[in-house]
Amino acid sequence: MKLIVVSIMCLALVAGCGGTSTKEIDISTDTAESSDFASADLQRITDGMMSSIATNGFFQQYAAQNAGEKPVMLLAKELKNNTDEHINTRLILEKIRTRMVNEGLAQFVDDQAFDLALEQLNLQASDLYDNTKAAQIGRFVGAKFVLRGTISNIRKVEGRTNINYQNVTMDIFEVETLLIKWTDEVEFKRVTEKGSFR
Amino acid sequence: MALIALSCATYTAKMEFSRDLYYMGRYEEALAGLNNLAADASGRDYYLYLLERGKVNLALGQYDSAIVDLQAAERRFLDIEATRSVSEMFASMLINPTMSEYQPEAHEKIMISTYLLLAYWLEGDREGAFVERNRLVERLDRYTKGLSAEDLMALDVPFARYVAALMYEVEGRADDARIEYEALRLVSPEAAPPVIDPSLRELIVFTEVGRAPVKVSTEIRGYLQKDGGALLGFFYLPGSTEPQAFALAGLNSLTLDKPGVLFTFAFPQCIKQRRTAVYCRLVIDGMNAGDMIPVDDLENTAYTAYKKDLPLTLLAAAFRTYLKTVAQTAGDDKGKETKIALDVLGKTLAAVDRADTRSWQTLPAEIRTFRMECTPGAHEVFIKYYGERGEVVSISNTVKFSLDNTPKQILFLPGAA
Repeated sequence: MKLIVVSIMCLALVAGCGGTSTKEIDISTDTAESSDFASADLQRITDGMMSSIATNGFFQQYAAQNAGEKPVMLLAKELKNNTDEHINTRLILEKIRTRMVNEGLAQFVDDQAFDLALEQLNLQASDLYDNTKAAQIGRFVGAKFVLRGTISNIRKVEGRTNINYQNVTMDIFEVETLLIKWTDEVEFKRVTEKGSFR
Repeated sequence: MALIALSCATYTAKMEFSRDLYYMGRYEEALAGLNNLAADASGRDYYLYLLERGKVNLALGQYDSAIVDLQAAERRFLDIEATRSVSEMFASMLINPTMSEYQPEAHEKIMISTYLLLAYWLEGDREGAFVERNRLVERLDRYTKGLSAEDLMALDVPFARYVAALMYEVEGRADDARIEYEALRLVSPEAAPPVIDPSLRELIVFTEVGRAPVKVSTEIRGYLQKDGGALLGFFYLPGSTEPQAFALAGLNSLTLDKPGVLFTFAFPQCIKQRRTAVYCRLVIDGMNAGDMIPVDDLENTAYTAYKKDLPLTLLAAAFRTYLKTVAQTAGDDKGKETKIALDVLGKTLAAVDRADTRSWQTLPAEIRTFRMECTPGAHEVFIKYYGERGEVVSISNTVKFSLDNTPKQILFLPGAA
């Protein structure tokens, strides 16, 4: 009886010590928590796509043919989401864009800055600004290539087992010719098994 | 006493006021009631209240709130699916089955995704609606796979198939749409469209008619006494205030100086709700377009699901009754204190026995649809609901829309009871 009372008191004490704890997670070694799309997958997709882009030869070939110039590219509005999850697919595209710019592979046109840029150009063209130092109208650069893709999944749930296959396919196509200059895919499959008791 | 207080009102009783307001079309008031119910709800019922509230938000056109509620509920239900909690199992066995967290029926889980899809679509989030369509198709496969042809007729959710097919059509995926329409045709042949043409300019209207069946707790309560070889006592049948006398192998009468056993046998009864509206007609631009076609008999689906669960429910109820009566006599050969303690415990547990009456109660009895080719430009529609004698019992709000930018205009009108 004494043992039971002591155990209950110890449990109560431990329960009382409960609180919020926060710890930093290393993104490069982060692993997925479930079979659903996870932040760890972002890293995996970006790494996979970037290594494919680096070995594809398109960017080197373009630079060689255009006196070392980098291709001007545009992101598709978002990665087409054919999965059964609400994913911020723009994040995947932006992550790849960041790596491509930082690794000096391409220049990107900011598709989301158009309205802001237009507003600034109009303002700077007004008498409020020193026109000799104002940004010039008519110098927007058109993208020659578009980076886009699709994310899809096939899920099977049987009892407590959840199997999820995910595939991300991306490509770069030339606006003038519609020719695909680079394409590749990253795929992964995860299984989650829930316990019988919660 | 705490236990008695805990179980005095069933879910159906607690929901009655908000449910009635919802079916009367007084959505704001229904929402206020559900906000209170959700705030006071135990963790076991909380997510079911979110379903009810999500449905009311959908009827109110508050799509963001509907999505938040329905998604939170769906996430929880998927988390606990196919799992058990040991403490809840014991509590259910000892007290009553409402001590377990609510786990929805398969058709309810399918309807969560269906309403989520509609909420995204009506909010104007096409991509979100397509994602929900993908989830819905997976759910339909998961919950209807393996059903016999007979069970499929009753337990499939053709409304969900229709909406999924429609989304495929909108996306231009005619083959995928055809697969879902064929599945729909098996269960609800009249509702399936004769042609699938993603480019055809069409108006598709869905409405809900009638109330979902509700469960009520049916309780047989009684008191039994042993007198030598005789067994005598009385019991109350469900709905009766007159006690029924019971005597087996003896003609003696009950006395208060002998110990007896209090028993309760409680099980849920599924009650179909009376309908004021039995059919409805779509009116477009002031002209009668025609009767809306039944696409989904959810009342029958809910009733069939209940009947399938009933044998197990009755078995569990019988086991609870047995445990609680045994507890009252288990101390007969023990000391006085133990005997009294077990007797009081058994009687208290018998007194608090109730059936689990939980179900998604703001679902309709039936879903109807109307689909027609429509000219570009501005239009307005409303629905007239008719009673048994052909009298108009209700008229929906008028919805204005323009068929210029999209070939398919999908409208969802909550409907009449």
